Amino acid sequence: MSLLLEITGLCTEFPLRDGTLKAVRGVDLALEPGETLALVGESGCGKSITAASIMGLVPPPGRIVAGSILFKGKDLLKLSEGEMREVRGNRIGMIFQDPMTSLNPVFTVGYQIAEGLRIHRGVSRQEAESQAVQMLSEVGIPAAAERIRDYPHQLSGGMRQRVMIAMALACRPELVIADEPTTALDVTIQAQILELLDRLKEENRMGLILITHNLGIVAERAHRTAIMYAGQVVELAPTEELFKNPLHPYTRGLLASLPEFGKPGEPLATIAGTVPDLKGRLAGCAFSARCPVGDQSCLETPTEMKEAGPGHTVRCLKAP
Amino acid sequence: MTVLLGTENLYKEFTVRGSAFAEKKTLTAVAGVDLEIGAGETLGIAGESGCGKSTLARLLTALMPPTRGAIRYQGKELASMSAPELRNFRKEVQMIFQDPFSSLNPRMRVSEIIAEPLIIHGMGNASQRRERVAQLLERVGLSAGQFTRFPHEFSGGQRQRIGIARALAVSPRLIIADEPVSALDLSIQAQIMNLLQEVKRDLGLSFLFITHDLSVLKHLSDRIAIMYLGRIVETGSRDDVLTAPLHPYTEALLSAIPSIDPDKRRRRVIAKGELPSPVAPPPGCPFHTRCPYAQPVCSEQRPELEEKEPGHRAACHFSAEIYRTPQASR
Repeated sequence: MSLLLEITGLCTEFPLRDGTLKAVRGVDLALEPGETLALVGESGCGKSITAASIMGLVPPPGRIVAGSILFKGKDLLKLSEGEMREVRGNRIGMIFQDPMTSLNPVFTVGYQIAEGLRIHRGVSRQEAESQAVQMLSEVGIPAAAERIRDYPHQLSGGMRQRVMIAMALACRPELVIADEPTTALDVTIQAQILELLDRLKEENRMGLILITHNLGIVAERAHRTAIMYAGQVVELAPTEELFKNPLHPYTRGLLASLPEFGKPGEPLATIAGTVPDLKGRLAGCAFSARCPVGDQSCLETPTEMKEAGPGHTVRCLKAP
Repeated sequence: MTVLLGTENLYKEFTVRGSAFAEKKTLTAVAGVDLEIGAGETLGIAGESGCGKSTLARLLTALMPPTRGAIRYQGKELASMSAPELRNFRKEVQMIFQDPFSSLNPRMRVSEIIAEPLIIHGMGNASQRRERVAQLLERVGLSAGQFTRFPHEFSGGQRQRIGIARALAVSPRLIIADEPVSALDLSIQAQIMNLLQEVKRDLGLSFLFITHDLSVLKHLSDRIAIMYLGRIVETGSRDDVLTAPLHPYTEALLSAIPSIDPDKRRRRVIAKGELPSPVAPPPGCPFHTRCPYAQPVCSEQRPELEEKEPGHRAACHFSAEIYRTPQASR
């Protein structure tokens, strides 16, 4: 099957006053049409910057210094800003974490959904509006014909997130990147939104990159999962395999620290230490300083992703 | 069990108006809450945003007065306390906040932040305070060398440790923690939960945890109360509430938690729709608009929070029919 998205050797850096912050340090990822890939990691691991790199939305002074991002065979990094605008919002949609700051407060939600349709699809105002109403009812907003005249502040958090999804999907993109789409929402609303995303993905055969730190969501929704640490993918596997047979010490540590697996009243397993400074030079494995099985060789030897099973790769010298 | 802090029929109402010309309306954030926290006990309160749990925390720490009802600390009503008694209450009941980024003064050094409550309550002289601060820093897992740093030099997890040290400074008897770990990264969450657990065990403190995350409560609480639209809809021991719930809202909350373990993924009971407005709560049972089991009576009569099983109370007309009859296969 031909790939929908293929990222090779992506490096994104931020030149700062006190050194260059290497936020993404050589990420390789691939996605098939209709597939859900989860990107998991803690704050600062580079998952959101990877997403921003795909969208061509790396905030200044950040810049992509190496790699390629092939979307249906075409390198997005070689497109002009005008060509990229044709892709962004049209063929690749994005759902952001916080609907309050990513919706424009001075336009009605109907206008914001219709805007993409008018720009990318060149439909008339009436046609765009009727499609916006249809999108809104598709994402489960009751009385959509009236709601499109509402401003974002008139809607609840769950409703705003539905509007964001409607906006991202209005042009029927082939790929959607959802950056923590439900983190700001309550659990009962979160369950509704995830069901909705899955259904719409199914109907439209979209590829979905799901960025989250919630491993429960990953386990239930993603076909494959990439664990990121300090700007690199450290383990990539089919989701079920990853949870059953985690190989990277960081993945193991993350799973062990979940309260779900702890015994009530007993200490939870923790990962000692904190993430390394990405402005410094990292010769060997970025996790080695916190690693329970690492030794001197890990500090010095650059690590490569190696095959550990069918579709299961891991970046660790000590992994079997 | 001696009751340390208790409430009786506690209400908090706010007057709101949608726009400058709109009619004034009453928002009932806390609607008749009765709860008790025993000495050395950890009570967990769970509920979604807008259920009134943070307002409840503010009432219990005397940061705002209730509209009606009573709060009693060691049997004495807060409203009738003298100024010195109230000061003592404020010393013995401390708070840990959710956001370690906005709850520490960025212009104060760590040592000043932790020493401030000691100064306010007139405890110790300068050198005793310095010693106490060093001891507290070590207690929460920071090094004494970080004494003179400012909050921005610390990570989120470290800041939460500073917040915990500040709460512990005046040797409180009860700590009220409003979402203490929800702003933290996964591996840091576990560290902070372990620290809270240690502190509780070593110092014999009572805790009130307020969170939306039931997996955190499962780990830290002895008893759990579930709140919905300002009311407690279910309360009981941790195991009773989490493994054998008696209220459909608790069931919906539990089944909405995404789980890693495929065996734990039970049949999803998704609560329909959204939280109704607390300005115009639905008549009858507050949950009936979203409840999959609602009957006509639910929209007419509000169920009282009643003891359904020993130590396990729920406010539902049909607890027994839904959850305890053999044919209900769940």
